[in-house]
Amino acid sequence: MGNVERCDKTLALNEMIFYVRRDPDLRKRWTTDLEALAREFGLSEAEWTALRDRDVRRLNELGVHQYLIPQILRLFYGASANTNSHPALEAYKRAFPEETAKAMALQARLEGTR
Amino acid sequence: MAEIVSAMAMTHSPGLTGWFDRGLPAHQSLARGALAEMRRRLTAARPDVLIVFSNDHLLNWPINNTPEYTVGIAAEHVGPADWYDEWLGLAKYRVPGHPALARYIVNEGARRRLAFAYLRQMHFDDGMSVPLHYLNADSAIPFIPVSMNCTVPPIPTPERAYQVGTTLREMLRDFPGPERVAVLATGGLSHEPGGPRYFWVDEEFDQWFLGLLAKGDRDTLLRECTLERMEAAGSGGTAELLSWFLVLAFTAGAADVLAYMPAVAWRSGTGFVVWNELAR
Repeated sequence: MGNVERCDKTLALNEMIFYVRRDPDLRKRWTTDLEALAREFGLSEAEWTALRDRDVRRLNELGVHQYLIPQILRLFYGASANTNSHPALEAYKRAFPEETAKAMALQARLEGTR
Repeated sequence: MAEIVSAMAMTHSPGLTGWFDRGLPAHQSLARGALAEMRRRLTAARPDVLIVFSNDHLLNWPINNTPEYTVGIAAEHVGPADWYDEWLGLAKYRVPGHPALARYIVNEGARRRLAFAYLRQMHFDDGMSVPLHYLNADSAIPFIPVSMNCTVPPIPTPERAYQVGTTLREMLRDFPGPERVAVLATGGLSHEPGGPRYFWVDEEFDQWFLGLLAKGDRDTLLRECTLERMEAAGSGGTAELLSWFLVLAFTAGAADVLAYMPAVAWRSGTGFVVWNELAR
């Protein structure tokens, strides 16, 4: 079973991100009033804590759909120039150091042969 | 009777527009060359309408209700969706739709026992916006977006996508109009958006998959490129290749693999493919 197949489709946070992304007012509240917003969407304590802490690994373990985790980070850190050295992506590297090291080795090899 | 005149497939990773210049110089030049060739062949096919098959990244439907297929039936499509324009580094575009053919797909699909949800206004992220930017930048070709669920469990199988492609091909042929139709699959190759292996590209899988397309070996593809194998090559992203299986049903014979690059910087195995022969 792949990582995405372990997501919890019924998690309130998975629904919350869908609506926040599409609504400029909710995106604004994300930066000013996140805790109240999370309460309104019915997040559990565990979901709220992982969200507040921007804890990528924990969000994944709780069953947040993997596609939505970078979206959460982009809501926190901004959406432009989302390269591998963007703060949102640095959070990923810290959360999954082993998997990331393997990918970075591939990148280094590609750069060596260009 | 509509006629299929072109079938192509390409990666739609947001890096191809949002941070293209971060790709290796060799990758940038391969991608530019392949996209120019796709544009050349698409123009030469003189299509009246371009149908693009791509996955919805949980933008048009919330996770509690994700249709397998959704058709955009608008007379005019506008994208990228707010917030995505910044991420993709793209200005807003407007492309004419083809409501008559789009609505035919929804209704005739139902008669043939295929469920196509529809949206009067579809939102567009990288899946449609990146290919439109490179292949239809002047919005000259009317466009029908068809989104697929490739990422919310249960993820459909490649066999299913191929079967839907076969039925669609037959349906389009029965459309009462003279339209020349181009079909384009977007998504893949190996990547794991937002998963633990977010930065990983499975070059071995990608070369195997493209090699089979280049040989025209659809039997092996349908037998061995299982959902499990795609998930192993990058969960929640590689299965975007379901759109390629759908378009494969419109084709015959070997495909031209115009370019491939294991583009870690764009966070996706990146490939561009054109079929020379179409199914009869």
